[in-house]
Amino acid sequence: MKRINLTAKIIILLFLAALISLLLAGCRGIFYIPGASYGYYIWEEDSKVFVEWSVDRKDSKFDGRISTDGKITRYKLKEWEEENDVIKVGEDKINFSATLDSKDYSDGFSFTVQDHTYLDFDLKINDGYDLSRINVGGFLENPENNIFRIEKDYFDQLKMKDWYQKRPFSEFFSKLFSNKYFTFIYLFILGIIIIEILRVTVLARRRRKIVWVAISYTMLILVEICIYFILRFLVR
Amino acid sequence: MRVKAFFKKIGSLIVTKEIFEDKKSLRILYKYFLIGLLIRFIFLPFFFQRDLLSTYQKAAETLSTGNFLLDFQQLLTNMIHTIYLFIIKSIFPAISQLSSVLLEKDTWISWISFNSSYNVFTALTLFKILYLIFDIACMFLILRLSFDGEPKNKLRVFKFWIFNPVVIFVLYIFARHDIIGIFATLVALLLAKKDRKYWAIAVLAFGIALRFFPIMILPIFVFYLVRTKKDYVILSMLGVSGLAAAELFSYFYFGRSVIFSLLNSQHFDFILSPKLELVVGSHSSIFIFVAVYIVIILSFLHIKKKSFDILLNYGAIIYLAYVGICYFHPQYMLWTVPFLIIAFVRRKSLLYYHWVQFALLMVILIYWGDLVTKFVFAPIDHKYFVYLTGIIPIIERFYDSAKFVNIFRSIFTGVSLWMIYLIYKDNKKLLAGELKNREN
Repeated sequence: MKRINLTAKIIILLFLAALISLLLAGCRGIFYIPGASYGYYIWEEDSKVFVEWSVDRKDSKFDGRISTDGKITRYKLKEWEEENDVIKVGEDKINFSATLDSKDYSDGFSFTVQDHTYLDFDLKINDGYDLSRINVGGFLENPENNIFRIEKDYFDQLKMKDWYQKRPFSEFFSKLFSNKYFTFIYLFILGIIIIEILRVTVLARRRRKIVWVAISYTMLILVEICIYFILRFLVR
Repeated sequence: MRVKAFFKKIGSLIVTKEIFEDKKSLRILYKYFLIGLLIRFIFLPFFFQRDLLSTYQKAAETLSTGNFLLDFQQLLTNMIHTIYLFIIKSIFPAISQLSSVLLEKDTWISWISFNSSYNVFTALTLFKILYLIFDIACMFLILRLSFDGEPKNKLRVFKFWIFNPVVIFVLYIFARHDIIGIFATLVALLLAKKDRKYWAIAVLAFGIALRFFPIMILPIFVFYLVRTKKDYVILSMLGVSGLAAAELFSYFYFGRSVIFSLLNSQHFDFILSPKLELVVGSHSSIFIFVAVYIVIILSFLHIKKKSFDILLNYGAIIYLAYVGICYFHPQYMLWTVPFLIIAFVRRKSLLYYHWVQFALLMVILIYWGDLVTKFVFAPIDHKYFVYLTGIIPIIERFYDSAKFVNIFRSIFTGVSLWMIYLIYKDNKKLLAGELKNREN
């Protein structure tokens, strides 16, 4: 029985690991694992703005300030520990300070704001700025300035972004396009190998083999041209 | 007519006479080669482990200072990389543009600069092509190791190498240079097969100077090749001559010992770490791998008729025992492959266990942290993969990560030991077959 339990545990853990890796690849909305992921996670859902943070079970301090030109109407705390965590909510600003440790995996809050055009965020981790650990929206965009502003329709715009405009795809396509000579030589070599495989397998018994090979190479050149335009479109 | 004969000779030289003369086999081999090449090319530009950059950084420093003796522990390997870097730097401007990155002393800054450079894919492809060259050389050398006059089995050996997951992972995803040492070992094995005993040992000594690992098979090599009592002394001396030459050179040039530097290195500790304490708290213990290794060597020594196939099987047993018992880096698994793939042909179940080993290795990889897991993908988008939640924190959230990995590590050891048993059974079969042949 003990052995079965252990095997079952291993299978479940493997399945979870595979599932989590897939989810982390950024196939859908915001995703973080309390107690494993490290940083701030900010997103919008049903007109509510969510600000949550997590750390990989180490003692850490998260504090900051959110201000707006609108009016904060409602707020809700998540996994808040009164003895360690402090929050002050004003009409147009929120100040907070919270700690996480090996037992406290994550904290956060959500709020609704009315008649606003922007939200200013000033978020710190362990009394310092670490912008790479501030993740905004489903595809974990990082802000560029220590105190950053999110316009009212920012999250809607972010949702409208296509998959290829988001990391890591955007960076990957950009590198492929900025290094055109390599990309096209590389793809051409791959194409030659594929055509050779086809020549010795599928085309081996066909008549007019040379015609088929010529067609394949023409196709390869056309594919290369298409890839150029596709890459240009993807990194525009 | 002469031209035709010339090409026939070249063809036979590359793919062996048996395969070259059988058109069907030749076509299958070409098909395998192309598919294998395609898989390798797909992985070439996109992945690497930090050590590849360190290797080329040492080569760049050697080029810039003109001092070939910078890496005194891996002198020959550094020389090969330096010469190769000099060639590609002269031909491809992309590599020259990366000079400042390669010469950057801070490992973290150089890694980020390398990954964020726009021509990182070009550089990685060119860096790994050196390993592709040695890989191709190995796949054609391995064809000649066994199954003479059996083109079908030779083809299977070729297939097992070209589609081997460990070869593809270590050379094209992990990007480590062990293939250079393996190439030297394969040349030595081929010379041993042809009974060129002094050349075989001399090349193996060169292999030892390249990567130290072939020293594990040196004793069985010597026992296989000796014909007279005098040979024991000559071959053993010749075998350690590569290391002795490196030691003398290092002693006179650097004023320090390369052998003691290796013995004191963390890598040698991998061999000695698994131990059995005889009395708790005392310093009296048995090094498990050393004891097992001696048993393996003695069992080989006591085989009266040592065939070449048995030598290969013992090579597999030694390296399997090493990865089964000791702590190892993923690339060390590559040393089992040339020996194992010959055994796969005779016993296919070994092939399945080898795939299980590879799958387990992918889990054991977690043990080495971000550097060998998510950072391997950094050339695609380093910022994304650096800040992506690592696999260890995820496991830690649910279960103790060390326990998790060690469960798989234990299964890996179990599978490796079972493979040793299967090879031992194969040895018995080979010996029985030889006995039968002699009786006939």
